[in-house]
Amino acid sequence: MSDLAPAVEVRNLTKVFQPSFKREYIVAVEDLSLTVGAGEVYGLIGPNGSGKSTTMKVVLGLMQASKGSTKVFGSDSGSVASRQDVGFLPENPYFYKHLSGEETLKFYGKLCGLRGSTLKDRVDEMLEMVDLKNARTRRLSGYSKGMLQRIGLAQAMIQRPRLVILDEPTAGVDPVGSRQIRDLIFKLKDDGISVFLCSHLLEQVQEVCDRVGIIFNGRMRREGQLEELIAIEDQTEIIVKGASPELIKKMTDLAEADATLIRTGRPRTTLERLFLDEVGRPDPPRKSDAVKQAAKQDVSS
Amino acid sequence: MSEPLAPIKTMSPGLIVGRVWTLAASTFTQLVRMRSFYFILLFALLIAAASNLNLLFSPEQKLRVIKNTSLGAMSMFAWLFAIVATAMLIPRDLEDRTLYTILAKPVSRFEYLLGKLCGVLLTIALALGAMLILFSVVLWFRETGIIAEQRQVLESSGRFSEQEVASELAIIARQGVGWNLLLATWAIFLKSAVLVAMTILISTFASSSLFTIIVGATFFLIGHFHKLAFQSLSADMDESTLITVLGKIIGLVIPDFRTFNVVDMVAVGVPIAPGVMTSMSVLALFYIVVYSLVSLFVFFDKEF
Repeated sequence: MSDLAPAVEVRNLTKVFQPSFKREYIVAVEDLSLTVGAGEVYGLIGPNGSGKSTTMKVVLGLMQASKGSTKVFGSDSGSVASRQDVGFLPENPYFYKHLSGEETLKFYGKLCGLRGSTLKDRVDEMLEMVDLKNARTRRLSGYSKGMLQRIGLAQAMIQRPRLVILDEPTAGVDPVGSRQIRDLIFKLKDDGISVFLCSHLLEQVQEVCDRVGIIFNGRMRREGQLEELIAIEDQTEIIVKGASPELIKKMTDLAEADATLIRTGRPRTTLERLFLDEVGRPDPPRKSDAVKQAAKQDVSS
Repeated sequence: MSEPLAPIKTMSPGLIVGRVWTLAASTFTQLVRMRSFYFILLFALLIAAASNLNLLFSPEQKLRVIKNTSLGAMSMFAWLFAIVATAMLIPRDLEDRTLYTILAKPVSRFEYLLGKLCGVLLTIALALGAMLILFSVVLWFRETGIIAEQRQVLESSGRFSEQEVASELAIIARQGVGWNLLLATWAIFLKSAVLVAMTILISTFASSSLFTIIVGATFFLIGHFHKLAFQSLSADMDESTLITVLGKIIGLVIPDFRTFNVVDMVAVGVPIAPGVMTSMSVLALFYIVVYSLVSLFVFFDKEF
């Protein structure tokens, strides 16, 4: 295990399945290579069935590669010891419904060799991090989807791994829950933890990832730094604030003189941001409150 | 970045034992919270009813009814629990993806299987222990009461010598509390332990709990009858016939579960020879180890 080694190194990975009682083969992943640098947030994006989860499962040792190799911090990812450095949150996790949030974290912590006050402190820290302190003694059968996702992230982080693998971390979670998970990913990044996430929610990937790989039909189509991938090379964007109509006219005239003006207008926020801003604002007084107040005054007078 | 919290040497014996114990304790909690111990309440009602049966039984028959009912209920609980509860563990972990999160931690597949096995065995052992204590207490009270009653009847009749009274009471006491009850409970436990290991093996390649339960129950039945069936079928055949060979293979793969049926002997008060218990324990251990090794072999390469 080396500190200089990349968090994840996948080299020429091919995974072939043979369904039971059938002669045909299904190639889920073909000659896929990718590297997740230490401290980097890497997003593997692609439609359903493109091979994202299969790649993750091979990296986690839940499946074996048909060809190629996968390493985690320089160690063969199939070895049990390599998983001490890895935290994993699967898509739609359920965990043991008979355990409470606190018991769940203790269970996973003990599996990682944590004991005594170290375990207790870490459980408290994780419950605080995912904002589930008030639900620590409630059984998971009573948790909402977003709460399950957050306790899942807490169990992934319990042994303080250097790499966290997230498979569709916000699948089925409402926008508020999704935002909380996004913020947690930012926190992991700030703490220098490498994140390897799979998603088909492109907007979210764009927000959190440093590097992105686009996988389709089991093959890597594009890979690179997010900013480089999404930049349109032959176009330039100028965003100004408080410009008068005259100034805008001058600027468009200048642009049209030497180049092709494609569009002018106001930059738009995302629907997600608009929604979150609206629901995050304090409730304005309701009409029904005023009616109730008037009725109260009538009664008292 | 902050320092890692967990130990680096994940394969040290202490940590392996710790992980197996964590998995076993979690399995125990899971089974207890599935309210499986409600059976003990039912068991308590059953022995209360059996001990209050005042039919035209002789004193020793009254005690025998309690023993028969209790040991029969314990035996039924153990084999039913061994198949049904075990069959739900691994397929459910897989369906709920809990297995992914466990195996994504530094937990080997061997530790996972061993943890599940130990968890179910711990649950069965504690349940049987609780039932044994409960039933022994009831039996002891009943035995004491019956002996006192009989002593009074025999002595007041004035027709029996002291020696005859003592001999008569000894016959009754033989049906009471004794070490044989512990041996019978141990035999029930061994039988269910073999069944647990067998059901875990089935669930490593089964696709659902239902399939595991059906196959497990079928094997359990075969284990009771295969020897008798093949003996009667191959009586007129030579050693090389297909039926004989098939019988030998099945006899090797599935143990003869009748070997563990010492409960009937205990119920009638027949003492069990130490050799019987030893051979039974060795046979059970052999099958538990073999089934567990095959389970590991199947589970080791399984892809999720």
